[in-house]
Amino acid sequence: MMAATTTLLRLLGSRALNRLASLGRASLMWLTAISGKPRRGDLGLLGRQIHTIGVLSLVIIVLSAFSIGAVIALQFYTQLARFGAEDAVGLGLALVLLRELGPVVTALLFAGRAGSAITAEIGLMKSTEQLSSMEMMGVDPLHRIVAPRLWAGLLCLPMLTAIFNVVAIYGGMVVAVQWLGSDAGGFWSGMQDTVEVWEDVGKGMIKSVVFALVVTWIAVFQGYDTEPTAEGIGLSTTRTVVMSSVMVLAIDFLLTLGMYGDFR
Amino acid sequence: MADDAYIEIRNLYFARGERKIFDGVNMSIPRGRITGIMGPSGTGKTTLLRIIGGQVRPDSGQVLVDGQDVCRMSRDELFELRKNIGMLFQSSALFTDITVYENVAFPLRVHTGLPEDTIRDLVLLKLNAVGLRGARDLFPAELSGGMARRVALARAIALDPKLLMYDEPFTGQDPISMGVLVSLIKNLNLALQTTNLVVSHDIHETASIADKLIIISDGKVIGEGTPEELRRDGSPWVQQFMTGSPDGPVPFHYPADELLYDVLAEVGR
Repeated sequence: MMAATTTLLRLLGSRALNRLASLGRASLMWLTAISGKPRRGDLGLLGRQIHTIGVLSLVIIVLSAFSIGAVIALQFYTQLARFGAEDAVGLGLALVLLRELGPVVTALLFAGRAGSAITAEIGLMKSTEQLSSMEMMGVDPLHRIVAPRLWAGLLCLPMLTAIFNVVAIYGGMVVAVQWLGSDAGGFWSGMQDTVEVWEDVGKGMIKSVVFALVVTWIAVFQGYDTEPTAEGIGLSTTRTVVMSSVMVLAIDFLLTLGMYGDFR
Repeated sequence: MADDAYIEIRNLYFARGERKIFDGVNMSIPRGRITGIMGPSGTGKTTLLRIIGGQVRPDSGQVLVDGQDVCRMSRDELFELRKNIGMLFQSSALFTDITVYENVAFPLRVHTGLPEDTIRDLVLLKLNAVGLRGARDLFPAELSGGMARRVALARAIALDPKLLMYDEPFTGQDPISMGVLVSLIKNLNLALQTTNLVVSHDIHETASIADKLIIISDGKVIGEGTPEELRRDGSPWVQQFMTGSPDGPVPFHYPADELLYDVLAEVGR
């Protein structure tokens, strides 16, 4: 009994130490990468990453945004019509999207589309010794490989979120106004009267920046710290998607609590 | 010879977990020559190269490269030092997303501000030296193993490094590419006067080009000298390695209990 307890304690202890150590490595990697002095050719590297991480994610973002906007409008309309308040569809849609769904859903899609690709790419570069050989050539992979991806993610996710919001509102408008026939004036003016620049748009964007930080950090570190085997890369890629999704949802709750406070 | 050493290693200790990899290693690598470091697989030969390049920190000891202690360098100093080092990886480690030409141009573009036409001339010269000027537009995935290693060699010499390290350059090569590589290493050494460090267990190829051989086993240096001296060495360790006998002072078996105990333990259950 005693022996079993010590074994359990020891196991828990070593797990906790491992977690702590990898958090330390992750922080060190992030700081070293992000604090590097800019050098010649950096803009080109950043541009390429913005293309692969941001531009190539556009299709999935636009398609999802349109369907989500349409679905929300459909649900709101059927409920609100019972009280004769169809005009409120516009403002309800805008608030839900700007404050919560826009940043969260975009971050989740981004983790699945771009995050997993970043992890797999860096992980494979590590396991084929490309990172190592770069280091031996006197080129720091943290600066050359990691930093451009971190910055590109940080720039792209907020922009993708903005695009998501615009397209989703358009999708909602198509359903509510053009299909179900609610009044276009009511739809837009309700939105215009209620939505505030800082309270709704600004705070939503801040959320998106925080998510960008978290998702790209996880994705890059999982690749950089991967076990250099086929199973290792598979595991890291899965971990990127799972960890990012859970973190985004948990952090969203905390941010909403902190930003919009006083719910009770 | 000792005062003109390019690399000087003193009292090197390094352990991975419980396993001692280096247990008090001393060696000096002469400047401008080819030195072969030999030993059975798993004796940490690759680790030694990584320690010299500063990618792995030893537990204790000094590693002087051109008079500077690698173990005491900061991150930035290490990256500065590595501009003078070329390393050929066992897996070639070419960048798979760019062409052969771009692979060789990579170190030039990053470290020099040379204009594009000068870079082009240099890249074509380096590729010509390894006989692959015609393969410049191929991607690494389209190369055979031997070609990939030669491209990696061209990339390693792109900046005319003072030190060239080869990690198992002959492993997995067919006899023809093996011969090509052997003469390439020798000719490059003659032409560029670089210090060469060849880590290998291919005794014949390495002995044919090396000016000095160092044999490592069980974390210690067990023999060093010119290939001729080592062939005449009386030590049974050195003899076992030079003649390639499967068992001798260097055991064939990984440390384990007696076979009988292992088998009986299974029966007893």
